[in-house]
Amino acid sequence: MVELSNSDNKDAEARPGVLNGYRVLDFGWVLAGALPGMVLADMGAEVIKVETRQRLDYMRLGRPIVGDQPDPEQNPMFHNVNRGKLSVTLNIAEPDAVELAKRLAARSDVVIENFSPGVMDRLGLGYEALRAIKPDIIMASISSTGQEGPLRDLRAYAPSIGSLSGLDSTMGYEGGGPLGLKHAFGDICGALHAVFAISSALFHRNRTGRGQYIDVSMLRATVATQGVGLMEQALTGRSLQPRGNYDPTMAPYGNYPCAGEDTWVSIAVKSEAEWRSLVLAMGSPAWADDQRFGSQYRRQRHRRELDALLSRWTALHEPDAITDLLQSHGVAAAPVLGAEERLFHPHFMARGLYSDTEHPALGAEPVFNLMWNLSKTPSNVRRHAPLLGEHNRDVLCGYLGLSEDELAELEERRVVY
Amino acid sequence: MTYSLLSGLRVLEIGSMISAPYCGKLLADAGASVVKIEPPGLGEDARRYGPWPDDVPHPERSGLYLYLNTNKEGITANLDTPTGRAILRELSTKSDVVVHNVPPADMDRLGLDYDVLAGGNPQLVMASISPWGLSGPWRDYKAYDINLAAAGGICEGLGAADREPLTFGTPEVGYFAGMAAASSIVMALLGRETHGGQHIDIAEAETMAGLYNGPEALMAVYEWRVTRRTGHHALDFPYPNCILRCKDGHIFVGSPEGRQWRRLMEIMGNPDWSQEQRFRNRTAMNNLYADEVDGYVEAWLADYTKAELLEIALENRIPLAPVRTYEEVRSDPSLADLFVVIERDDTGPVAYPGTPYRLPAMDASNPRPAPTLGQHNRAILCDELGYSAADLVKLYQTGII
Repeated sequence: MVELSNSDNKDAEARPGVLNGYRVLDFGWVLAGALPGMVLADMGAEVIKVETRQRLDYMRLGRPIVGDQPDPEQNPMFHNVNRGKLSVTLNIAEPDAVELAKRLAARSDVVIENFSPGVMDRLGLGYEALRAIKPDIIMASISSTGQEGPLRDLRAYAPSIGSLSGLDSTMGYEGGGPLGLKHAFGDICGALHAVFAISSALFHRNRTGRGQYIDVSMLRATVATQGVGLMEQALTGRSLQPRGNYDPTMAPYGNYPCAGEDTWVSIAVKSEAEWRSLVLAMGSPAWADDQRFGSQYRRQRHRRELDALLSRWTALHEPDAITDLLQSHGVAAAPVLGAEERLFHPHFMARGLYSDTEHPALGAEPVFNLMWNLSKTPSNVRRHAPLLGEHNRDVLCGYLGLSEDELAELEERRVVY
Repeated sequence: MTYSLLSGLRVLEIGSMISAPYCGKLLADAGASVVKIEPPGLGEDARRYGPWPDDVPHPERSGLYLYLNTNKEGITANLDTPTGRAILRELSTKSDVVVHNVPPADMDRLGLDYDVLAGGNPQLVMASISPWGLSGPWRDYKAYDINLAAAGGICEGLGAADREPLTFGTPEVGYFAGMAAASSIVMALLGRETHGGQHIDIAEAETMAGLYNGPEALMAVYEWRVTRRTGHHALDFPYPNCILRCKDGHIFVGSPEGRQWRRLMEIMGNPDWSQEQRFRNRTAMNNLYADEVDGYVEAWLADYTKAELLEIALENRIPLAPVRTYEEVRSDPSLADLFVVIERDDTGPVAYPGTPYRLPAMDASNPRPAPTLGQHNRAILCDELGYSAADLVKLYQTGII
């Protein structure tokens, strides 16, 4: 196991969070549904994850880290995006479990879900049903393509959203086809817009007493981040194609090869001053005086020749050395970092971007921190991701007043399951 | 009855390009009163980014600026001057929120010192968005979108093994920082009665290396998932999980669930190759034979358009998704109510993406176009701060506004 920045989660639960006192009932699962609850928990809300063995959160599954048996407590990805939450297992296919969920909703400020559109309504847990028992409830539904409309029932995963939103249409080498992102851009984008809408709805509720139903689609959220491409189309009629590493206002702009196997440094130059600083940092090579590179306009026009010549220089040096040299001259540069390099990067380590958290199944394991650094109430990983049903007793007996016998009976009947 | 979630809030934005402006836009679209301060003369950088109507550049008609600044008011103030900074201080005492993306090294010089601004307004929430954050050895390092993507883990796995790593096709990182800042700001406001004002430090690189891409970095610790530049394929997923060619463009083809793959094969007529022993494990199929199988699948896809394949996907509940051009995104009827038409004298009506989340009764009926440079100088400086018309003239003549 790696040793990351000093981890001390013992006091984490006690540290003040800006959302202390808010309670979230979280039916969210996989990634897009789990992230909003994670964010709210890191900011201090009490987040109760409702899940069931009947249909495990996919994210709990995966290759076991210890041993060779499938184990729902061993997925570090799940641990990252569900840390800070409490877990209650309610098999909401059972009417009695739905009743318990409603009683929890009555004591919550926010309900989050990302089942397929219509599922919560069918279960009797739709917004109207919840509003009847908690008039100012704020409910957020997150889906791929929205709660209504012709694409509502499309089977869509993270890459589908990249394709449908236009995001993928420019992702590739110039003259080549679209390659597609390998990240869950749409999930994260949808989740973050949900967090903003939920927070704003709480602000509104606190002033007016009114609750809210929020419909967040990953597709719409991703489309909203396509400002350049959509405006290009609206104002010029052109749809952008893949252009490699390209920015219309910069040259050089790209990832350049460095000394060592498959190492790269990103360099971006916008102003004339930055160009002069880059030339100086390179030791004023003769080629940089070439008329082809004599202005930002000319550098843009001749960017391929420029990239080739710049690459000859970068290829002689390590990415970190180039980064420090260029930055000391006021030129934007940063290495292309791999996963391990990010984990152990001095800047990220100094700020505590990643830290270790003790998890009952895996011991000390690394988690990323949210890094929403509010000066008095910074985001904070408050506890490890819950074991399946770890808080059944705390929540069902503690909050709802069930007796031990009642809980045992519900477990027996696989209502609490 | 319609309403706005954040009406009554006053926000000051000193933003350029994407991060702080998108934060300001989220707040403004939710009903906050957002006043954007730009440098006099040229205004902020997005005005020079484009694109422009009919390719005629003009600082008032840059598409990126127009999109990211709807529903805001605009004033000018030269924060390099004491008088400009005094205007900033006066406005901040009347504001709930300040958000900016001025580089840390320039913050003090431009009067963005939280302690000073909060001296006259202890309830002030200020969000500072910077490339690397307000602390740490890289605090004063510069960065543009590609540098943040490179350090944030976006580039390492994008592209072909024998070519340079790629970044996003258009600038994207700033949106994530803007979202992080906007949510943090509203949360700080939720806690304001208990904690008073706060200063928020959001690092753009960390929104990528953390929330966006952190789990992936951590999976590498367990050697669970390896990210390499493998073109349009990603390692360690069941085949198919990639973009392929079809009759009129490209389509994403996925099938993480076995029944989806079996259904896809049925539709393709259960071809002989699909029965081969070596293709029984679809993750092995992906990691070892993807290029070969691409050929088989593309031979079938070549007979179908993106629209036809979308119909097949909906009918059969299998995850096919057209790689849409921006024109196709705009003409998608299911997104018709996402786009809002806003008229400006100098552009005519333009359809912009509106709020991406839907609230049944939220008031989005009367969106306002992005402000022209200094459009609200008189309204803000005279009507609110009490400067006289003569002061305004003098401030303009001396390059303050």
